[in-house]
This record gives sequence, C-alpha cells and structure tokens, in this order.
Amino acid sequence: MKRDNNHLQPNPDPSSSLCGGSSPGKANLWEEEATQQDCGMDELLAVLGYKVKTSDMAEVAQKLEQLEEVMCNVQDDGISHLASETVHVNPSDLSTWLESMLSELNPPSFDPFGAAGKTAPMGTLDDPFLGGPAESSTLTTLEFENNNRKHQKRGQQIFEEASCSDYDLKAIPGKAIYSQNTRTQPQTHDSSSSSTLNNVKSEKRLKSTSGSHSDIFPPPPAVSYGIPTDSVRPVVLVDSQENGIRLVHALMACAEAVQQNNLNLAEVLVKQIGFLAISQAGAMRKVATYFAEALARRIYRLYPQNPLDHSLSDILHMHFYETCPYLKFAHFTANQAILEAFEGKKRVHVIDFSMNQGMQWPALMQALALRDGGPPAFRLTGIGPPSHDKSDHLQEVGWKLAQLAEKIHVEFEYRGFVANSLADLDASMLDLRPSEVEAVAVNSVFELHKLLARPGAIDKVFSVVKQMKPEIVTIVEQEANHNGPVFLDRFIESLHYYSTLFDSLEGSVSSRDKVMSEVYLGKQICNVVACEGVDRVERHESLTQWRNRFGFAGFSPVHLGSNAFKQASMLLALFNGGEGYGVEENNGCLMLGWHNRPLITTSAWTPANKTTATSTITN
Amino acid sequence: MARSNEVNLNECKMVVPLNTWVLISNFKLAYNLLRRPDGTFNRHLAEFLDRKVPANANPVDGVFSFDVLIDRGTSLLSRIYRPATAEEPQLNVAGLEKPVTAEVVPVIIFFHGGSFAHSSANSAIYDTLCRRLVGLCKAVVVSVNYRRAPENRYPCAYDDGWTALKWVNSRPWLQSQKDSKVHIYLAGDSSGGNIVHHVALIAMESGIDVLGNILLNPMFGGQERTESEQRLDGKYFVTLRDRDWYWRAYLPEGEDRDHHACNPFGPNGRSLEGIKFPKSLVVVAGLDLIQDWQLAYVDGLKKAGQEVKLLYMEQATIGFYLLPNNNHFHTVMDEISKFVVSDC
Repeated sequence: MKRDNNHLQPNPDPSSSLCGGSSPGKANLWEEEATQQDCGMDELLAVLGYKVKTSDMAEVAQKLEQLEEVMCNVQDDGISHLASETVHVNPSDLSTWLESMLSELNPPSFDPFGAAGKTAPMGTLDDPFLGGPAESSTLTTLEFENNNRKHQKRGQQIFEEASCSDYDLKAIPGKAIYSQNTRTQPQTHDSSSSSTLNNVKSEKRLKSTSGSHSDIFPPPPAVSYGIPTDSVRPVVLVDSQENGIRLVHALMACAEAVQQNNLNLAEVLVKQIGFLAISQAGAMRKVATYFAEALARRIYRLYPQNPLDHSLSDILHMHFYETCPYLKFAHFTANQAILEAFEGKKRVHVIDFSMNQGMQWPALMQALALRDGGPPAFRLTGIGPPSHDKSDHLQEVGWKLAQLAEKIHVEFEYRGFVANSLADLDASMLDLRPSEVEAVAVNSVFELHKLLARPGAIDKVFSVVKQMKPEIVTIVEQEANHNGPVFLDRFIESLHYYSTLFDSLEGSVSSRDKVMSEVYLGKQICNVVACEGVDRVERHESLTQWRNRFGFAGFSPVHLGSNAFKQASMLLALFNGGEGYGVEENNGCLMLGWHNRPLITTSAWTPANKTTATSTITN
Repeated sequence: MARSNEVNLNECKMVVPLNTWVLISNFKLAYNLLRRPDGTFNRHLAEFLDRKVPANANPVDGVFSFDVLIDRGTSLLSRIYRPATAEEPQLNVAGLEKPVTAEVVPVIIFFHGGSFAHSSANSAIYDTLCRRLVGLCKAVVVSVNYRRAPENRYPCAYDDGWTALKWVNSRPWLQSQKDSKVHIYLAGDSSGGNIVHHVALIAMESGIDVLGNILLNPMFGGQERTESEQRLDGKYFVTLRDRDWYWRAYLPEGEDRDHHACNPFGPNGRSLEGIKFPKSLVVVAGLDLIQDWQLAYVDGLKKAGQEVKLLYMEQATIGFYLLPNNNHFHTVMDEISKFVVSDC
C-alpha cells in the first residue's frame, strides 16, 4: 500500500500493528513485541497527550479491561461516584490514573494505624511560641502572636467575612475550597491523641502516591512529539481590525530598529505609534500606548524611576486583584494544594514569599478553621520588600490577619520579614521547627521570576527552600517566556501576552478598577521592554522552563487534581460570567487562560528526596 | 453478561493496534463517567480529562497555528493552521494573517468530532489531525471550536459553523491568487461530519460556494433500529445507548431521531435534487454500528444526483484516523489529498 510519508510521523513496523488470535496467550505476544522495541514512551500516544511506556501498554490495556468489567458489574451509583466525588489527578499518566480508579472500586482494607500515617505528637498546645530576636542587618522581624487557644466552636454560623477596621481582607468564600462532601458541621476539638487517627475522609483522594511516577517522565527533549519544549508560542488574535494590524506593524518595526540599535529610525517610529494608537480603540490602544512608552524610555534611556511608593503599589495590586480572576485563581489553587498538604498536620507554617497585603491567607485560614478535627496552629511568615515611607506595612498586614484568626478561633503566629531580595534569606533566620512538629509550606505568587535577574539568586533560594523541608512549595507564575536573550523576541512575546491580558480586562464592570489594573500591568510592560540587567526583574518563564528548573534543583511535582480544577472553574464564573476564561490541566499543574491562551500557571513541588509528605490515609 | 463482554473485548483487540485500542478504550471509559443518566453532562471533569495543546506560532514540522476569536458574543474561537514558508522563520503577530501566496490554496474548515458533546479545537487528537491535513493538502485549515451539547443544543453547532464559514470567506488573506476567491472545503469527523453536511447546505443556499465536503465516520441516525446497529451494538467501543444519549443531548427537547439534523434524508428531511451541493467524500468504517445511516446518507446524495464518493473501510473501527498506525489511515489520507486538489 502506497504511503504518503511527507507529513506523517515515522511509522512503526506494520506487523506490530496487527493482533494475534483470541487465545489467552495473546497478551504475552504483545509483551514480547514490546520488550523488543524501545522501552521508552509510545510516541503516537504521547503526541495525543498520553504518557504510556511501550512496555506498559499491555498492562494498561489490562487495567482498562478490568475497569470495564468492574463498571459493568457495579451499580450505576458506583460509577457515578467515580465521576462526582473522586478526585482525579494527572490523566496523562494513564497507568496511574486507571490504577487509582481500580483501587477506588476495589478498596484495599483500611488500616488506620498503618505506616502510611504519620501521627504528630500532640504535645503541649499551651507552649507559648515566642519569637526570637532580630537577626541580620538586612532584615528586621516583626511578630505577632495570637494567644487565643480556644478550639471549641460554638454554633453553626461563625465565619462571616471577617472585616477589619480599615478595609476588608476580601477572601474567596471558605466553602469554595471544599468539595461538596465535606461536612461543614464544626466539631469540638478533642486534644486526645485518638483524634489524629480518626481522619477518615469522606472525600476520596486519588494521587500519584510516589514521586517515582513523575520521575519516569523527564522533560521531553527538544525535538520530540512535534512540540519543542522551550519554543511554544501560543497566540490568540482577538482583534482583527485593520488599524490594529498597522499598529502592531509599527510596534514591531520600532522594536526591530531598537534591536539593531538604529535609534534614529526607532525614534521616528515610536512617534508614529503614538498617532496610530490614538485612532485605535479598546485594549489595543492601551497596550500599544504602554509598549510605545516603554520603547521610548529605552530609546531615550529614561529608565523607570525607583519602585513605586508602597501604598500606590498596594492599591494597584488590590485593584488588579478585584478586577480579574488572575490573583484569585493563583491564591485559590495554591491554597487548595497547601490545604491538602497540611491534611492531618497539627501545626503548620506557611512561608510566603509574596506577602503584599496578605490577601491569600484569610481564605486558607477559614478553610483550616473549618477542617475536620479542628484547625491546626497556624504560623505565617510573610516576606516583602522594604517600604520607602518607613511604615511597617508587613506589621499592619500581620495585625489584620491576627484579628481574623482570633475571630475564627485559629491559633495564630505571625512574623514579617523585610528583604530586598528573596536571596537574602537564610533558613536559620526563620526559626524553623522540626518537621515532625510543624509542617511547612512555601508559597510564591509572581515572585520567583524576579530572582532570575541576578546570577545565582534562584539557586540560593532553591537551596534555602529545601532546607525548610517543606511539605509543599506552591508557585504561581506568568505563563510566558519573557526572558529570552534577544530583545526583539521578548518584545514580540510580551506584546502577544499583554494584548491578551488587556483584552480580558475589557469586560470589567468597574472602569476605575480596569484603569488601575492596566497601570499595574503597564509597569510590568515597562520593565520587560525598557530595562536590562539587574533592573529587569519581570523575567517570566514558561511552565516547561520552570519544570526544568525545579527538576534540576531536586524537586518533584505534586499534582493538583480535578477538585481544584472544578472549583477554580467555578470561581471564574464570577468574572464576566466566565466567558472567555478557561482552566486547563497540564500534567498536574493548572493554567488559567483567556480564549485558550494560557496566561498564568499554578504548580506545586516537594523536595525529591522526601518520602511522600502528604500522608495519604486513602480510602 | 460478563462473559459476552469478554468476547467483545477480545474481538475488538483483534482489529486494532494495541495503542489504538488503549486510546479509544480510554475515551470510552472517560466518556462513560461524563454522561449522566438524567441527560446532563459533567463538563468540568470533561475539560479536566481532555488533553489539550496550545496553539503554536512557531512552525513545527512545517506547520504553525494560532487561535482567532471569530465572534466575541459566543466566544467562538477557531484555530488556524498554516504551512510555514522557508523565508519566514520568525513569525510575529502581524505575519500570522499574511496573505496566502499560491495560485490556489484550499482552505479546509474542520469540525472536530465528539458526538456534539466532547472535545474542542484544541484537543490534542484534533490538533494533530489538522496539522496532518495542512501538509497533506497544502491547505490552510480552520478548526472551529463550536458550542457543544447538552449546554448548547441544535442549531448552535450549525450556527457556529456558518459563522466561521462566513468569516473564512471574507478574509482577504485567504483568497487564492488565481481568482481572488477563498477556495473552501468542509471536513469533519463524527458530529463534525454531520455539521459539514448542514453547514454546506446553508452555504449553498446563501450563495457561498463550497468546493467539497469530507465526512469521516459522520454522525447520523434515525428512529428505526437498523441491522448494523443491532449487530454491532457494544462490539467495537460504541453502544446504541450512548448514541441515543448524545442525540437526546443535541436535538431540541422532545424531538426524536427522525429530526432532520439527525436524519437528513429521513421522513423530515428534504431532497437535494436540483440543488447545487458540493461533491462529497464519505468515509464509513465497517465496524461502526451506525454505518447503515451513513450508507443511507450516501444513497440519499446519489439519488439526488449529487456527486459522492464512498470509501468503505471494512475492518476499520471508529477513530482509526487518529493514529497513523493502520492501513485504513493511509488509504483515507491518500483519498483526501486527491479529493482536495482535484479541482486545481
């Protein structure tokens, strides 16, 4: 049979595509063929998004058959709970996914005292936790303690949106973090040791229980499966107007002129852009204006002033938080992963690299307060840059969170660290307690990429994070490569990216929020385009690139599952009816996009040499 | 019941390569989880499980892609696939909609399958298929992300298809040099094949020329239970029960399968006699339980004097065109490439 191979992948041996007879030995025939072939991944399935080793194919087929059989024999209810209650994780890893469902339908005997569970010593909850003295000269410490040790909850309806004197720490409703099953009936906390062993979960958890599965799949090589790892350029065109295209042409031409150091031409072009932008409408005009300004700064070497005053910066951040779902998605998905990692832990410590106004934490605290068996003792270490007006903004934030903690009866401890760079941190400064006593989560939302501006900084931070022995490290980053070596490439990438982002803002209800958000993003644009060296901190990189970095630094992925996906999707419905926004699952990470263009990614990690941290007393 | 299922699974495995069997069985399993008996659909889980790929403006194997928002009101996206030219290694946003340069460039508007409920234009299986079509036919491919059932019933999918067709037809950069017109073909598999038929009808009636229809295992049906449906029910990945579910999800409430959307040449259908209609290439898999309806469709076209070529692939199951590991795949790809260029 003539084959037209020009456009096709290399074809496997035709004889291997035909199957044998119906004898029981058939499975062995395939296994035999499989071992003769390359023991790597099945290329054809990989292109379609499924990771199955050729040598595992027969076993995967068997699992599918088993599931089919079980599903036929089980009542309809049995199947429906697989769909509605079960948490699915990483569907690309077919073998593990199928295995999870099989064990779901044929649960092994439940052993509450088994090795899988780690029992935290109950210890004396009354130990006061006093903070240590200030350490290095670059850092100052501020601490708060919540002396409220009450764990009894009274009444059903306790958690109204806690509001503080100055402004509301707006939070995603606490229930959003819970799946439908979790009983919201608060229980009195029993400090006897039996309570730790009674963490019978109503929610079924399916996870890749060991790091080894994820180790099987290293980042794909550059030339494979049709998708080069570091050069995928997703683009969505939302505006096909004639003027829009001319404007983009002009921006590109100007950037090219800058790239070639033809500053006279660049100057002429940047003025042209100004004229063209005026006649344009909507998002395109604004984006073009910001990019033009940034180009102008680069041409005239009028680099942006020192970072904005904190209060203004905070305000912009707040408006961005309100206008569009990006920050809320980031907080929500990170919190979900943290919550799951903290299951069964009695004392927890969150180290937040991106403290800002602490908007991520009320929701987590509320979720912890509602937890089966009562909340853990919650310690928060917030890290942020110094403020210029001598105000102790980190202190204020901590104070507000302490007030919230008091209202919801969560034992709370807070420490704020001011640092110019995360690389200034050392683990010894953080007063870490042994990991059997206190579980640690490290959280970073849109901060990590800044470290790429200084050589060695990211490696220092990875190393310090590992010293913290975290159960989980949650990272949210922009999904874009704005850190390539060539200016023109960065310009084009960021033009696509911010055009899409600005387009998503257009539907905002409040025009004031919208403007503030645009200013907030405009600062980023300016940094990407006009700055260089250590000043250029907006060095966004893609998930693939971060995966490589985390992998080489000795971290394994922790997968986010279908429950987080679903609730994140539902969260989006609050913004403009959800039209245009979409959540995507990517090998255990979650991405938020606008019209199918991924814009931010949440991923979670744990140090690779750790045995499985989140003790899974799975049902 | 278990025993006869065993037999089914073994038969099934005999006719497809193992990795194909795994792929399609996996879909079958996942889809079983998503369809609820009350007719609702677990959309969140569906989106979670669906393997998607982003568009990529960087050429890969000679093809680059980008998404376009065609209609903001319905969030109608389409993914455009274009052949990369040697002289444009670095594409920027201005170059994505650069005019096609050849004398004749076929533009294939593609409608993905999924029985009206599953999949998207950015599903990996369809992204892969569309990329193949570019090289195969030296074409630009426009894959339409139409609204799906049960949230959006008939005629949403057809409306979206028609919107996309009008958009394609009005792009100056898609016009062939020869006659400054857009040379449009429609293609689709499963529900996409059904959409091809109906959108072609709307187009021709509105005066927009479609040069050819390509229907891969098109989804048609009717109230009657045909011989092939009874013989093949549950044997090769597909059951009558799930077919019924999807029609109930797509057709207007209260309508039965003799609705013209489902059964275009049935009691509520219309004759195409004397109507200008594109030539059709219809691919039927011999192990597809709805083949009697697909063959009836071909007959309906023939009786109306329309040009149609039937490709009956005897030992093929559904989804054979998703992986290039079988002879049916290659046969069909050859025929498609001949079909699309033959009017040049």
